[in-house]
Amino acid sequence: MKKECIAMLLAGGQGSRLYVLTSSVAKPAVSFGGKYRIIDFPLSNCTNSGIDTVGVLTQYRPLELNNYIGSGQAWDLDSSSGGVHILPPYMGSSGGTWYKGTANSIYQNIGFVDMYDPEYVVVLSGDHVYKMDYAKMLDAHKNAGAACTISVREVPWEEASRFGIMSVDEEMNITEFAEKPKEPKSNLASMGIYVFTWAKLREYLINDEADPNSENDFGKNIIPNMLAADEKMLAYRFDGYWKDVGTLESLWDANMDMLNPSSGLNLIDESWPIYAKTFSAPAAYIGPWSEVSNSAFNRGDVIDGAVSDSVLSQNIFIESGAVVDHSVLLPGVRIEAGAEVRYAIIGEDCVIGRNSKIGEAPPEDGSKDWWGISVVGPNCTIEEGRVIKAKRMLDSEGREVTR
Amino acid sequence: MIGIHGIVFAYQQRESLQELVKERASASVPFGGRYRAIDFAISNLVNAGARDVGVLVQERYQSLLDHLGTGKNFDLSRKRGGLRILPPFNIMDDRGNKNFRGKMEALCGVRGYIADIKQDYVVMIDGDLVSNLPISEIVQSHIKNKADITVVCGNDSFYVDSGTYFQTDEEGRVTDVLYNIHTPKGRRGLEVYVISKTLLLEVVDYCISHDKYSFRKDVLQEMKDELVIRTYVWEGFAAQVRSVKEYFERSMQLLNPETRKDLFREERPIKAKGADKSSAVIAPGGCVHNAIIGDGCLIEGIVENSILFPGVRVGKGSVVRNCVLFKETVIGRRAEAAFIISDKRVRLTDGATIIGSALYPLAIEKGSVV
Repeated sequence: MKKECIAMLLAGGQGSRLYVLTSSVAKPAVSFGGKYRIIDFPLSNCTNSGIDTVGVLTQYRPLELNNYIGSGQAWDLDSSSGGVHILPPYMGSSGGTWYKGTANSIYQNIGFVDMYDPEYVVVLSGDHVYKMDYAKMLDAHKNAGAACTISVREVPWEEASRFGIMSVDEEMNITEFAEKPKEPKSNLASMGIYVFTWAKLREYLINDEADPNSENDFGKNIIPNMLAADEKMLAYRFDGYWKDVGTLESLWDANMDMLNPSSGLNLIDESWPIYAKTFSAPAAYIGPWSEVSNSAFNRGDVIDGAVSDSVLSQNIFIESGAVVDHSVLLPGVRIEAGAEVRYAIIGEDCVIGRNSKIGEAPPEDGSKDWWGISVVGPNCTIEEGRVIKAKRMLDSEGREVTR
Repeated sequence: MIGIHGIVFAYQQRESLQELVKERASASVPFGGRYRAIDFAISNLVNAGARDVGVLVQERYQSLLDHLGTGKNFDLSRKRGGLRILPPFNIMDDRGNKNFRGKMEALCGVRGYIADIKQDYVVMIDGDLVSNLPISEIVQSHIKNKADITVVCGNDSFYVDSGTYFQTDEEGRVTDVLYNIHTPKGRRGLEVYVISKTLLLEVVDYCISHDKYSFRKDVLQEMKDELVIRTYVWEGFAAQVRSVKEYFERSMQLLNPETRKDLFREERPIKAKGADKSSAVIAPGGCVHNAIIGDGCLIEGIVENSILFPGVRVGKGSVVRNCVLFKETVIGRRAEAAFIISDKRVRLTDGATIIGSALYPLAIEKGSVV
């Protein structure tokens, strides 16, 4: 079963910065863009790039993710010689441990990778929204004869200190790597997408595991070690849309980007389709007295109220007289008559009771300190008339929780 | 083996559907912004627990095969049984390769398949019947009433192209079967029949040996006295999509919430092929009222009282009223459309106007540029 290239998808993060939205699901299984889960992006990119073998490394709340991925058929990743494989930590004859870090999760699955005896391994993250052809990146890696290729994108200089920053020479060879530098020397940020020559990576993973002081992390250990050893490290520039949706704000932003063609996130374009698992529901119905503007919606939705600048997943009911503005509604939400939802993310299967008010528009005077999006955790029922102010977050029981 | 086996008749040519069936059987006519007609028949059977379903096809079935695939979308992709497509064979006799003259002729051609049926009861259903039927309940009533054949009827005698109408006594036993009648009377048959496997095989053998081919004439009419034929009356929505006008009217009924509630039930979901499209988007400037909108539509104009299938585009300044637009229809800018049924990938160029009428909706052939 020799493969030239397989992908390993890091989906083991807790997603703690998504708070209530990841209370029962792993971050890659969080809904996005009305009909996707975040993991649809790397999986679809793989299949569109011609990679037919993907290992998905999971350890937190994997049930929903496992169920969602199923046989991998939705992404065409169910071929007999490859396909998608869920890889949880497991016990061997000499014991076993949880995944200690991103590098350790691959280390523990060296056996899996070796089954396919690949020349190259693509390492991906399960919390990014983007459309990317990994085959082009792999070509750049091969042409340069690199040991490791890291995709990078330009970020505004003032934000550079929030990222892993690469300094490069004229040929895009990485000369320096700094994780969240105070004084960045470059504005090329790592996107957390790597191509490795497997023989090299294998060696570094084994050495890293032997180091008791290592955090077993790609960004903190493997990449700096490879640089220090003078391995050929290439930066691969990517100009398309890319967003890390690991926080509530960035998740909301990315959903809004989908409504804004100038953001570069074009999901309607079918030349690079993003696949998602399909479900049974009739086409959406937009009622005679509804007012819907600049919004996305899905199967099973019935909209009789006012919806503006919002993203609605499937099976959403918006009753007549309800208002939804600048919000993201996850599957199965019902907004009852007279309720107003503004600048909010509403978790799966919530019921927002009559005349309640969730969230607020940002203040016009720009004093944003007190403002932020409001979030309601999944399966929460908001009683009639309740008011939830901006930046507040509720768990499934409707209790306020702090971020 | 207790349980039901499904047989779907998808061979019929309904020429009154005109352009809509030029390249497809009526069973694969799109319906309701997401489905093909046959999705209803197959989902009805699957929701009643059928694991084995045979689909009888004859002509123009490529579109149907594309749609059904392995049956995976209906959970009918099984190692044993599951979905079986039954194309015509061994009918190249003196008649040549002509249309089946009736359901019995179609069934006689697959006698071997019928003989192999493992379940006790067979539910036969037309592939172009759009309805959400409680098949389990219908079969239970068939067994309880000790009927030989149960025919499912609508609670009306609406005219349908080539319709069958059942006259019954007070107990619901069929006393006469009428078709080709000028003024329909009795109950409108939905062409859904429950029959035991044993009896089905008997009538198949009888028809083969007597060169008979019509289920309604040679079985229902001729044997109405010797067999106990009973009706099961379905009070809900049941569209027999057989002409452009009926197609249009039945589609528009879906804009009524009560109809949708009847047809799309949580306990009996209608399954269909996935579309791999993104969310639908109403862009700035777009305005939609009273419409069914499929996945991946992008609407920048005005849409009212219409049904849009996946991937339809409506450009800026355009107005679409009372239309059914099939998959990937593109309405350019400042165009106007009313009372049309556009087939897949029809394109209405910028500034174009095309208007049908409620009494005579205009069907536009697949891929046309207007």
